[in-house]
Amino acid sequence: MSQSVAERVSRVVCEVLKVKAEAVRPGARFGADLGAESIQSVELVAAFEEEFDLDMDEDEALSVQTVGDAVRYIEDCIRRQHG
Amino acid sequence: MTDHPSHRLVETGGPNLLEGIFPYTEVPRIPFDGPILEVINGQVVRFDPDEAVRRDLHITDTTFRDGQQARPPYSVEQMVTVYDLLARLGGPNGVIRQTEFFLYTRNDRETIERCRALGHRYPEITGWIRADPGDFKLVRDMGLRETGMLTSCSDYHIFHKLRKDRRKAFDDYLAVVQEAIQNGVRPRCHLEDVTRADIDGFVVPFVARLMELSEPLPEELKVKVRLCDTMGYGISYPGAALPRSIPKLIHRMVHEAGVPPERLEWHGHNDFHKVHINAATCWLYGANALNASLFGFGERTGNPPLEGALIEYAGIKGHSNGADLAVITEIAEYFTRTVGATIPANYPFVGLDFNTTRAGIHADGLRRDERIYSIFDTARILRRPPQVAITDKSGADGVALWVNQHLGLTGDAQLSKIKVHKIARWVMDQYNLHGRTTAISADELAEQVRLHLPEYAAGRR
Repeated sequence: MSQSVAERVSRVVCEVLKVKAEAVRPGARFGADLGAESIQSVELVAAFEEEFDLDMDEDEALSVQTVGDAVRYIEDCIRRQHG
Repeated sequence: MTDHPSHRLVETGGPNLLEGIFPYTEVPRIPFDGPILEVINGQVVRFDPDEAVRRDLHITDTTFRDGQQARPPYSVEQMVTVYDLLARLGGPNGVIRQTEFFLYTRNDRETIERCRALGHRYPEITGWIRADPGDFKLVRDMGLRETGMLTSCSDYHIFHKLRKDRRKAFDDYLAVVQEAIQNGVRPRCHLEDVTRADIDGFVVPFVARLMELSEPLPEELKVKVRLCDTMGYGISYPGAALPRSIPKLIHRMVHEAGVPPERLEWHGHNDFHKVHINAATCWLYGANALNASLFGFGERTGNPPLEGALIEYAGIKGHSNGADLAVITEIAEYFTRTVGATIPANYPFVGLDFNTTRAGIHADGLRRDERIYSIFDTARILRRPPQVAITDKSGADGVALWVNQHLGLTGDAQLSKIKVHKIARWVMDQYNLHGRTTAISADELAEQVRLHLPEYAAGRR
């Protein structure tokens, strides 16, 4: 059974930021709660692009603050880019 | 307070980039709101910057004279090449009007002959001699029409260096000036140490006498006056006192001693970091000629930088009057590569890093719109596009800017920082994991581009 967008986002966040899955809650902020440094934010966006085969707008993607917002943003990108 | 009409936020439909002052493709303008007022001898004196803009402001060069006193001698070949470059830099209208040479050695004289053979109208070649009557033979033999001569005017020089009193110095200088005129050579009196001199007791009487002497002479023989701020004591602030006040000194030369602006020149030194602004101040207050040296090379701390004077000229005038500012870059390359001169990396307009950023946040701005962190269109004006140097402070923004410049990608074709994240990670690891303390070289970055962006590296423009 395929994973949901939220599950895949959670997995990518754990891999890139080296954090435990239980820390990756919808309200968790990438910087303040999960410790993402500037370069890691860029790496996270790049990893999302690869995971979901998307081309993200740099400014839009980097302005996303929380895990929940990232899920919604990615779902929106999937709708726009993959129909 | 926010109800005050002048304190209300004014929203606009788009940005107001003040392009009348910052045209970007040209040197930023130096606008004035009105006259400059100064109290001199108890009277309010009005200086009109618009009048200064209309005057025949120009630059005279001392690269081969004062500039050479600060470094090993140039070869004849080097001087001829630099003279040729100065002619191109200053353009056909003589923004760089004159340049002065020593006359004492065979090399000095050969250089003048070869420079003259190039056939440039500008910069006109003038001489520089001690105030020794015998030296006029040298000037005359070289066929020069003008020469500078030392007429030191502070008591430090008159009493302690020349071992004379004021009367003796006054008379001796005048004798040499008359000798020059009799030889058909225009004297340019270099008032050494004028910012430490007795203006009322020596400078004004001496210069007034020079002007009196000039009255019956044809224009080409009338005496010129160079105000030499030998120790860099000059002060540009309104209200400063003589002898250090530049506005007051210029005003008294023009209005009391009777020196017209076209025969008045300023020569400064940088001992107090004031050399450029002091020279430009003289332009505004009434001297037409600004004596300068390439890259500010000159005795001790140096002279006004000639390339800075040219940029100032363009800012004040609103145009460069035929001067080709891009030649500044060519001359800097010649000095560093061939002459072996050292120009500090952060030196304005020509230093290796003058338009290089290392800060990620500045690189981000440059990527979005070059105008945010570039003083003007340095690619167009100086043939030096803004650069980014990569360190741990550059971030992914800096890396993206560097990669796009390296690959020649512009506009929508530019890669985002997301696309260069592997290179940015490699850069960060050099510092965080390997303890690096030096900047990443262009070769190292190019290798990373080949590794991580091979499809772009193959098609590099």
